[in-house]
Amino acid sequence: MPLRGSPSSVRPADSGRTDKTQAGQRTRRTDPGVPAPRGISGQRAERLAPYILLAPAIAIVVAFRLVPLLMGVNFSFTGDGERDGTAVGLDNYAELFRDPLFRTALENVGLLVLLLPVAVAIPGLLATFIYLRVPGHRIHRSVYFFPAVLSPVLVGAIFNLLLAFDGPLNAALGNTGIDPVDWLGDPDIAMFTVVGVHVWATFGMALVVFLAGFSTLDATLLDAARVDGASLPQVIWHVIVPGLSRTLQFVFVTTMIGMLTSMFGLLYVMTSGGPEGATYLPEYYIWVQQGEMNRPALASAASTVLFLLMLVVGLAQIALLRRAGREH
Amino acid sequence: MKRRALWAAVLVAAMTLSGCGSAGSGSSSDSADDKLVVWDWKTGEESAASYIKQAKADFAEKHPDVKVEFVAQPFDQYYTLLGTAIQSGKGPDVMLFNGGGEIRDRTDALLPLDDYVAKDRKRLAGWEAFTAQGRVYAAPVTLQGHPVYYNKSLYKDAGLDPEEPATTWREFLDDCKAIAEKTKASCLSLGNKEGIGIQFFLSGLGPGVLTPQEYDDWIAGKRDWNSPHVRQIFELWKEAEDVGLNNDGANSTALFNDAFARFQSGEAAHIVGLMSDVGHWKDFSEFLDPDDIGVMRAPLVNSEADPALPYDGGIGYGVAEWTKKPKLAADLVRSLTSKDALKAFYADAGAVASDTTLDVSGGGQALTTIVSEIKTGKPALHVALSSKTLDLMGRLSQQILSGSTSVDDALRKLADSDQKG
Repeated sequence: MPLRGSPSSVRPADSGRTDKTQAGQRTRRTDPGVPAPRGISGQRAERLAPYILLAPAIAIVVAFRLVPLLMGVNFSFTGDGERDGTAVGLDNYAELFRDPLFRTALENVGLLVLLLPVAVAIPGLLATFIYLRVPGHRIHRSVYFFPAVLSPVLVGAIFNLLLAFDGPLNAALGNTGIDPVDWLGDPDIAMFTVVGVHVWATFGMALVVFLAGFSTLDATLLDAARVDGASLPQVIWHVIVPGLSRTLQFVFVTTMIGMLTSMFGLLYVMTSGGPEGATYLPEYYIWVQQGEMNRPALASAASTVLFLLMLVVGLAQIALLRRAGREH
Repeated sequence: MKRRALWAAVLVAAMTLSGCGSAGSGSSSDSADDKLVVWDWKTGEESAASYIKQAKADFAEKHPDVKVEFVAQPFDQYYTLLGTAIQSGKGPDVMLFNGGGEIRDRTDALLPLDDYVAKDRKRLAGWEAFTAQGRVYAAPVTLQGHPVYYNKSLYKDAGLDPEEPATTWREFLDDCKAIAEKTKASCLSLGNKEGIGIQFFLSGLGPGVLTPQEYDDWIAGKRDWNSPHVRQIFELWKEAEDVGLNNDGANSTALFNDAFARFQSGEAAHIVGLMSDVGHWKDFSEFLDPDDIGVMRAPLVNSEADPALPYDGGIGYGVAEWTKKPKLAADLVRSLTSKDALKAFYADAGAVASDTTLDVSGGGQALTTIVSEIKTGKPALHVALSSKTLDLMGRLSQQILSGSTSVDDALRKLADSDQKG
């Protein structure tokens, strides 16, 4: 570990450009208090201390995050089965992009991005109603949050029963004269069903964030808008949305991350990637290749692609947040 | 003060490092010479307790000073965990496998057992499922197969003779018609949500389509996906849906356990079920009268076909290639397939054990029929396929059911995938 730091640089509070001389004076002033024999070793200890204190955290990040990440990327350039351990260049990546199943998984990621505004609008609207004190808003607040405490497996199992072809939802539709819908068995519908259930299960958290955002909203603006005769949609669009822009961005980012990384449980329980492979997402694909097909190197390649995808999405979101931050 | 902080930091760092060390060195292959580690997903189940106890006793008799540790892994992650162990070349000495693709895909990590288990070859059935390139990689514990079960009480309700199930596909369709007219049940219970329904259909009803020569060729790896009879199996799959033999929403019905539950509760007259573990004679008899559960041969679609019971080795124990004690580990595998242990497994866990010399007369009529056909049985058709082809077949079968792909197109893709494998 390089030890290039000067004593002043290891004390962030004193290292500001403006009060450097003051800091030096203060150090000198405290120095006489330290017994002479401890001077040199004490100084050295002081110089080493921050690195040692940082070392465990850095070691953990390097050992358990960076090294496995690089090993995984490296592993994705080797073969599976008979070619285990030999370098195969970009073969795995070529195979990935030839595989219609992986392309479906990527298309579904695109679909999730497109559905993101809906997933954000639902908790946003419901939070608005609660904030505007619709009748029963106290009950709604707790009821809306309730699904957020259920595990995806449980939620999946419940909706499997509700959405079965001969299940209660289709029975209710039948009573109103509508033909039964194969919610989880029709490839054109199943992905929307799963996303719908995911939104139902997780919107409570976003709702709470929105409510927290509302508490920072200036109530006088709302009153003023009302006095000016603004309708509800106008109030939402011209007063609430601009006032909540930071909250909205936060919810966008967290909802996106949630959709891309925590749908596995639901997919596993509700559709197993089916029907016809229509509900595959990259993480499910990775799991199938590694666990079911015994293709760990191909799974590593898919993981690397997912990592790059998340990196692009994450950087784009950070850039958006920065730009929005400058506007304020 | 500063010195104390420094020491604290050193201590934390030291603890962190030593923590890493102990986490990484817990691998079982470093265990002492007098210990064997077994991985499976069975030991956690209460019904397998007496089986494990018997096997342990048998092994302890031969090797009193060797300790055996059973590690029960969750089944849904079993092959993922095993894959990690194989990747690192460290792990258990003995491990449980499903027969067929699961073990064949992983033979690089396994020790050929031919020389060790020679004495058991005659007593046990089901070796083919654990054989690859002519070498045996595990000893069968249970047999897994796909008999066609039918509900005799529904047959009675429909005015059919419950002791004379259909022997040809024509008769079968007529019986289904009668069942549809007289009862509320569907003719077949099909769960194809995971794409497993087609595997059971292929293995359960395929024997009534292929000629014995075609059947043997298929198992031997000479599969002609364009032959008229193979095409006929997939056309039957489509026909069964088109003429309404299946329950509604087969693509969203899970085989485990929704489709089985349908049959169990009398909502379907037939199901291609299993012989061991779940979805079998013992499971069904929890809700149906054991005397009402019948087992029939695959109805003849072609007169040249000669249907036999489709079965393979179900689960079996293999020995890791990296073990330092191959002889001991193989002896443990032999204990795990000893007669007394398998008897306990059959009685408690409801499995057709691989030992053909066991007495099964207490298991009901369906089991007796199944066991009587083991001698003439043949390996199941789908077990011969690679996991990749099975996965593809699952998706294509869903597309055939929903009408979004044709049988021709599906067969072309399957032939392609099978040849690559």
